[in-house]
Amino acid sequence: MSNKSLLVVDDSATMRQLLCMTLTRVDGITEANITEASDGEEALEKVRSGNFDLVLTDIRMPRMDGLEFIRSVRSELNDQALPIIIISTKGADEDVRTGMNLGASGYLSKPISMSQLKQMVANFLG
Amino acid sequence: MQQEPAEILNLFKKSEELVEMLRKGRAFTEELMCENERLRYRVVQLEAEHMNPPEMVTKEVERLRIENSQMAQKLDFLNGKFQQVEAENKDFAQRYVEVEEQNESLANLYVASHRLHSTLDSSEVVECIKEILLNMIGSEDFGLYVVDDESGELMRSGYEGETASGPAKERITLGEGPEGFVALAGHPFFSEGLDEGPCACVPLMIKERVVGVIAIYTLLSHKKGLSVLDHKLLELLAGHAASALISSKLYSMADRKLRTIEGFMNLLRVPQGGTNV
Repeated sequence: MSNKSLLVVDDSATMRQLLCMTLTRVDGITEANITEASDGEEALEKVRSGNFDLVLTDIRMPRMDGLEFIRSVRSELNDQALPIIIISTKGADEDVRTGMNLGASGYLSKPISMSQLKQMVANFLG
Repeated sequence: MQQEPAEILNLFKKSEELVEMLRKGRAFTEELMCENERLRYRVVQLEAEHMNPPEMVTKEVERLRIENSQMAQKLDFLNGKFQQVEAENKDFAQRYVEVEEQNESLANLYVASHRLHSTLDSSEVVECIKEILLNMIGSEDFGLYVVDDESGELMRSGYEGETASGPAKERITLGEGPEGFVALAGHPFFSEGLDEGPCACVPLMIKERVVGVIAIYTLLSHKKGLSVLDHKLLELLAGHAASALISSKLYSMADRKLRTIEGFMNLLRVPQGGTNV
C-alpha cells in the first residue's frame, strides 16, 4: 500500500488533521501519501492534475460542496473508478443518499469511528 | 425276452455315471466332514483362548488400558488448558478493544489540543471548539458560554443548533439552570435519558476558577449517547479549551494595550518641523 495516494477534503482543519492522523495508522500509509484540500473546488483541481487512489470528502463545504465535487468527478472528469468516501455529519441523511446516487463509493458518519475508517480505507486500497 | 445290446450298453453307461456321481458325492461329503472337524477344533481352540487368554495378550490388554487412562488424563488437561487459553484470548480481545477506544480518544484529544493552542485569535478558538464538539463528540445542538468578568454572568460565545441559539441562552445568571449551576459548582453534569435540559454540561476551568461552560443539548441522530470515554474526553477538552480561550483573551488584551501604547508613542514623536509636547 506504500505507493497509494489519498486525498482528504474538508473545510475543517481539525477534521483534516484527525483524518490524516488516523490514515497514517493504516499499514503502508504515511503523511507523504496524503494530500489535503479545504473545499470541493480545490479538490477537483487536485484530482484533475493528480492521480489518487482514494478520496475522503466532507459534504458541507464552501465554494464547492462534496456533492458537486462527486458529480464533477463522475461526469466532467468521467472518472467512475476513483473510490470516493463521504464523511457525513448526519447518518442516513438526504445528502448521503444523494451522494451515493451520484456515485460515491461509501460513507461514514461523524463522529467517525477510527476503526471503521481504517477498515474502510484498507478495503478500498486492497 | 431278449434285450437289445444297445439297451444294455445304455444301462451300463448310466450305472457307471451313477457310480461316478456317488463317488464324487462321497468325496465331497468327506471333504465337508474334514472341514467341519477343522472348524469344530478351531472353535474349541478359540473358546479355550477366550477363557484363558495367553499371558502376552493379557499384558497387551493391560498396557492398552494404562495407555488409555493416561490419554484420558492428558485430554482432560489439554481441555482445561484450551478453556483457559480461550478465556485469556477473550480477555485480550476485550482489552484490545478498550485500548483501541482509548487510543482513538487520545488521538482526538491530541488533535483537539493541537488545534486549540495553534491560534491566539479568540474567534478562531471558538470555531475550533465548535468543530471539536461537532466532529469528535457528535453534538448537534450545543452552546459555549464564557464568564463575563464585569457582570459575572455566562455570555454565549458560540453555539450550534436550535436550543443554544434561543434568546434564553444569550446570557445566563450563575446558579440558574444547569449551565449556571455547573458554572457555580465547578463540576461537570451528565444526564442519561432525561428529556429536558442538556445531556452534558462541563465547566471550563483554569486551576480552580471557572471561566466558562460547554453545554450539549442534543447529539447527532445516529449517536446513541455519551460513553464514559466521551465524558473523559469532554472533561479533558474543557481544560484545554479553557486555557486556549483565556490565552486568546489575554493576548487580545495585551495586543490592544500594546497598540494603544504604540499609538501614544507615535503621538509623542517629534513630527517634521513641529515641537516637542
